[in-house]
Amino acid sequence: MHDVPATSPRVRSPRTAAGQTDPADHERSRTDPADHEAFTRLVTPELDVLYRVARTLVHRPADAEDLVQDTLVRAYRAIGTFDGSHPRAWLLTIMRNTEINRNRRRRPVLLHDADMVRGVSDPGTEGQPEESLVGGAFERAVVRAVAALPERHAQVMTLVDIDGLRYAEAAEALGVPIGTVMSRLHRARAQVRRRLTAEGLAPRGGTS
Amino acid sequence: MILWPWSRMRGVLSCRQAARAIQSYLDGEADDVTGSAVVAHLEVCRQCGMKAATYESIKDALGRQSSPVEPEVVTRLAAFVDELVHSGTPEEPGTP
Repeated sequence: MHDVPATSPRVRSPRTAAGQTDPADHERSRTDPADHEAFTRLVTPELDVLYRVARTLVHRPADAEDLVQDTLVRAYRAIGTFDGSHPRAWLLTIMRNTEINRNRRRRPVLLHDADMVRGVSDPGTEGQPEESLVGGAFERAVVRAVAALPERHAQVMTLVDIDGLRYAEAAEALGVPIGTVMSRLHRARAQVRRRLTAEGLAPRGGTS
Repeated sequence: MILWPWSRMRGVLSCRQAARAIQSYLDGEADDVTGSAVVAHLEVCRQCGMKAATYESIKDALGRQSSPVEPEVVTRLAAFVDELVHSGTPEEPGTP
């Protein structure tokens, strides 16, 4: 899962990372020392989750760190207008908009491998201990089923079930209402369950 | 916390209502009343109980796919933040 290279080959400085921006984000290009401290205090605890979500949102896993850096630059410029509440939601909103702009600049978007899009990949069979075969088969089937979902359904399952986001946070990351997150999640899981049932890995059930 | 419209309905769920509420319950997003209604429904409905068990297994299987973020990535990002707040970002064209 999340077969992301341990390191991004493109470690950029903020000045380089800030190269591509949207005029709408330029509330501030310089901040005062109090803002420096506030910014560091707000974003540092969120770096881990930002990177996790970035791995799910980007089409190429190697771009995840770049997306986080671009998000941080935009957030830094806007720190003066942030009220300090719900920093994770604020950062996820900025990340979503940043990713939209990055994709817009990159058009045409290349079609991507399913496992790269969703941040999920088949764990494979090599090296699987024999005693864990049953559990391993179920897990691999789940991963395959998620990878076979439409991208927006796979994304929401990844954000909630793998990245551990709350519904509200997933909604911020995707730019959709919470109800849409719930609806997509419901459909996605039902589809995964149906596939597992068809493969004989889950019991049959009634509606959805 | 998701407040469901049947939260005030004394906890009686149909299988169709339960189908969605089960997922919020497993995700820890259902309110207490809905959670109790889900539990009550699962105690008497074998079909929904099996589905809930499958959904829980799916969630657990995906949860095990979560790999920790490499410490060096977080270290690099923290260094990036540090550089950002100390050296700033370039002025945007047209920014005063």
